[in-house]
Amino acid sequence: MKSTLRIFIRYIVSAVGIVIILLVLNLFVLLGWLIQSKVENPVYYSIRDFSDSLALDQGEFSISESSLQKFHKVYQWAMLLDETGKIIWSESLPPDVPHEYSLSDVASFTRWYLNDYPVRVWQHPNGLLVLGSAKDSTWKHEIEFSESIVSKMPAWISFGLTLNGIAALLLSLLFGLGLFRSIRTMATGIENLSENKPVTLPESGLLGELAIKINQTSRQLTKQEKALKKRDNARSAWIAGISHDIRTPLSLVMGYASQLEGDPNLPLSEQEQAGVIRLQSEKIKDLINNLNLASKLEYDMQPFEEKTLYPAELVRGVVTDIINSRIGEHHSIEFIAEDKIEKLKLVGDEDLLRRAIANLVLNSIQHNADGCDISVEIKKESATCSIIVSDNGVGLTQEKLDGVASQRDFIPDNQSHGLGLVIVKQIIQAHNGTVEFKANSPSGCSVILKLPILLSR
Amino acid sequence: MNDIHECRLLIIDDEPELQKMVKNILQNEGYQNLTTAGNCKQARQFFSQMKPDCVILDVMLADGDGFTLMREFRTMSAAPVLFLSARDEDENRLLGLGLGADDYITKPFLPRELILRLQAILNRAYFPAVLKKAAQPVFHFTDTEIDLSSGVIRKRDGEYTLTAKEFLLLEKLLENMGKIVTSDNLCHAVWGENLFRYENTLMVHIRHLREKIEPDPSHPQFLLTVRGLGYKIIGDQTQ
Repeated sequence: MKSTLRIFIRYIVSAVGIVIILLVLNLFVLLGWLIQSKVENPVYYSIRDFSDSLALDQGEFSISESSLQKFHKVYQWAMLLDETGKIIWSESLPPDVPHEYSLSDVASFTRWYLNDYPVRVWQHPNGLLVLGSAKDSTWKHEIEFSESIVSKMPAWISFGLTLNGIAALLLSLLFGLGLFRSIRTMATGIENLSENKPVTLPESGLLGELAIKINQTSRQLTKQEKALKKRDNARSAWIAGISHDIRTPLSLVMGYASQLEGDPNLPLSEQEQAGVIRLQSEKIKDLINNLNLASKLEYDMQPFEEKTLYPAELVRGVVTDIINSRIGEHHSIEFIAEDKIEKLKLVGDEDLLRRAIANLVLNSIQHNADGCDISVEIKKESATCSIIVSDNGVGLTQEKLDGVASQRDFIPDNQSHGLGLVIVKQIIQAHNGTVEFKANSPSGCSVILKLPILLSR
Repeated sequence: MNDIHECRLLIIDDEPELQKMVKNILQNEGYQNLTTAGNCKQARQFFSQMKPDCVILDVMLADGDGFTLMREFRTMSAAPVLFLSARDEDENRLLGLGLGADDYITKPFLPRELILRLQAILNRAYFPAVLKKAAQPVFHFTDTEIDLSSGVIRKRDGEYTLTAKEFLLLEKLLENMGKIVTSDNLCHAVWGENLFRYENTLMVHIRHLREKIEPDPSHPQFLLTVRGLGYKIIGDQTQ
């Protein structure tokens, strides 16, 4: 929504900007025109200069050749009238110009034309100097303002400019509002699209075509999501079904094998063989359980029982259970807890977190059948709780570490680490945590789980 | 009925081979009154006929599900029910819905697991006194005798009486003889609280306990500290 408003504001600003730029542009054109007209009449010969050069010398008016030349570039003819309105000197006077003028004649041509000749007049020491230009060469117009209007001119100009600005603003607002509305609908649609909600926009108006495309995309997404969900459900249900079907026959294998293992009537070697069958069936059982859990975690079908728990207590419990079960008899398992970690709380599914940590320790034990030192450390780092399971055993090659770290799907690759680590990753990710794998020097590897903690207030 | 093995058991599972095996396992263990049923209809019939003391019930049956069947049984008798389930999903229903199942086992299971769970259920339902008596044996550590039923420790140099808290501590540790009990579990057992409130108190009580049971309290032989985790009692002369 914010971006739509930004687009709108941007639109208004640019509209007003355009108006201002136009005004400035016009000003420049006007200026250019004025300069251009100056260039077209470069040797403007002022009537005053001419008047000065016209001198009375021994009862004869004379004028210099250069002045006359200059004069002819601009004017066509000239005459000097005395106080009675008679011509006392003239130059190239056309025949249709009268030789005598009354006061009213003078008043008339002074302002306008003399027989259609545009004329200028000047007060010469000996009379009235009149210079005439060619007919139709000059357009004369009287400009006359009252003093009060002239004094209000700056105010009027600034008022006009302001009015222009306001008009531009209002007009752009008016036209922009419609656009803004349709963009806003579009934006809401796109927003919903990104949040995976179904979108149905009105398909008319300015952006109707765009709306049609967005609606199409939405329909397509919904369809794809449905198909994806269906496939996921099918996969998960299939795995659940398979594991269910395996459980009953496996019960029989495990049950009878276990009975044979404990049957004192059988020779020892056969009891041992039955023991192997029993042990392997238990491994298959674990595998089924893991597969089921992994698929359920992958498709968000594992019910998540969130509660507040104390990670230190949880980890301590897991380590203790493993030591008590005597699974890793060649392994030393150490628990390291930072001071004051006991009160640390986080929200999560206790069973799943226990499983994640147990998987890591058991993984270390399994991959180091000859024994190794395992340490489980818990510490607080700002807003996260780090649980580090580390060993000095054979470790994983960097290649494998990368493989485990980057593996996205729960389907395991053909490596031997199986589902254990994948499940750990899924569980931690479901808790908004992260999992890091690191090689230890000189040997072994560390797995670092980071979980967000509950900040106490 | 003097013995849990005299209990009448009804085994309900739609897989005949599994019925046979469960029956076989329980027979070997000494249970004598065993009846098997393969579907709900049969199960209802047998249930009202024989009035079993305990039912072992598969969740998925051909003509219905175990949960519904159990509810029906519960209207007729209070006989405990042990569920057998082949799906993880059932676990959540069994735990979460408070169906009143006494226990459940997920397939596949080891015979030993079935026997122990069944024993526990039957003892709880029919021989609570036996259970109590069995839980309070007398323990011997070289020269020390711990009698939990009277809360007394006898040593060569005399008798010591356990305080209430020491008793609870010792009981919890002896229940898990040879195994580590985390400090958290001890605190929960004794005070019903989290460790961080009672860490020091726990240490004090352990010290007092050692003074009573150890020949040399500063070099404990029986009640050992497991660094970072908790405590454990070791000893092999149990009676």
